[in-house]
Amino acid sequence: MDPELKIENLPQITLRPLGVADVDDFMVWAMDARVARFCTWEPYTSREDGLNYIQNTVVPHPWFKAICLNGRPIGAISVTENSGGDACRGELGYVLASEYWGKGITTTAVKMAVKAVFEERGEKLERVEALVDVDNVGSQRVLEKAGFCREGLLRRYVVLKGRTRDMVMFSLLSTDVGIL
Amino acid sequence: MDPTSRITLRPFKLTDVDDFLKYAGDETATRHMRWNPITSREEALTHLETVAIPHPWRRSIGLLDDDEDRSIGYISIFPGSGDDRSRANVGYILAAEYWGQGIVTAALRIAVSTVFADLPEVVRLQALVEVEHRASQRVLEKAGFLREGLLRKYGYCKGEIRDLFIYSLLSTDQRRI
Repeated sequence: MDPELKIENLPQITLRPLGVADVDDFMVWAMDARVARFCTWEPYTSREDGLNYIQNTVVPHPWFKAICLNGRPIGAISVTENSGGDACRGELGYVLASEYWGKGITTTAVKMAVKAVFEERGEKLERVEALVDVDNVGSQRVLEKAGFCREGLLRRYVVLKGRTRDMVMFSLLSTDVGIL
Repeated sequence: MDPTSRITLRPFKLTDVDDFLKYAGDETATRHMRWNPITSREEALTHLETVAIPHPWRRSIGLLDDDEDRSIGYISIFPGSGDDRSRANVGYILAAEYWGQGIVTAALRIAVSTVFADLPEVVRLQALVEVEHRASQRVLEKAGFLREGLLRKYGYCKGEIRDLFIYSLLSTDQRRI
């Protein structure tokens, strides 16, 4: 990949559903230990596992998109959907192949995703939130650049690969982006 | 007299039903709970049988100087599962006639002193409190909880979306007993 590539020169970043036909592109980031570092999963080792994940988790997911460069998936982004009194909030997650880090691609994808999900869910969704490991500074910068508000540090909040981790809570409200 | 010495915590029994109904059916006492007041003895019995008694950690609050050990409220601590097993949500309720005497703070301090041993996977207790609910925030602060932040428009309670403070207490935090 050309190291001089900058975001302004890149063709449009697009979001679209991720399907089983994308498994080989999926495996590029799924096998990468740098990408998996702050994820709940270990790097993938078999294409079969990749297919199973896409079929069983991605396809039925309420909102899960591939982040595409030139129409080819280089990462993924998702927003959960809750029920009852918690339907007002959705949790954002994302991964990007490490070769494309540091170019503003994830920030762009996040902005596109929150705009889309607020529009699709209407008044039902008021808050998109994201929990980021305290050591994952790169991901915290993505959210800050995308306009998220850092609400606080939640101590020993979650178990990640056998260890309890401090997580930073970020949120973006529909009123923050002037959607509703 | 220090309220802590007046408090007992114990699991619920079906025979608590009438005392339970007094506060669980009260609009004032249940105002900040996510559930609506329980209005019938039958509903109360069902709740005790299916929720309160099998609960992983729920304790009726009683007064030591009351020979009958009547339930005047409860502390509820509910652990997560899977990757969320390190944390547990704290909730509490007290009959309105007993407010303002430090009873919930005392009960919470007792709960905190035993719950980490009872639920060994839990290292974090957390509580979500409405921004307007100052009394509940004081209870948590006096029991040693730390306010970590404000979660904006976090969830609905009784039909309105709420901003909630999140508080936590870790098993490693210094605790006032």
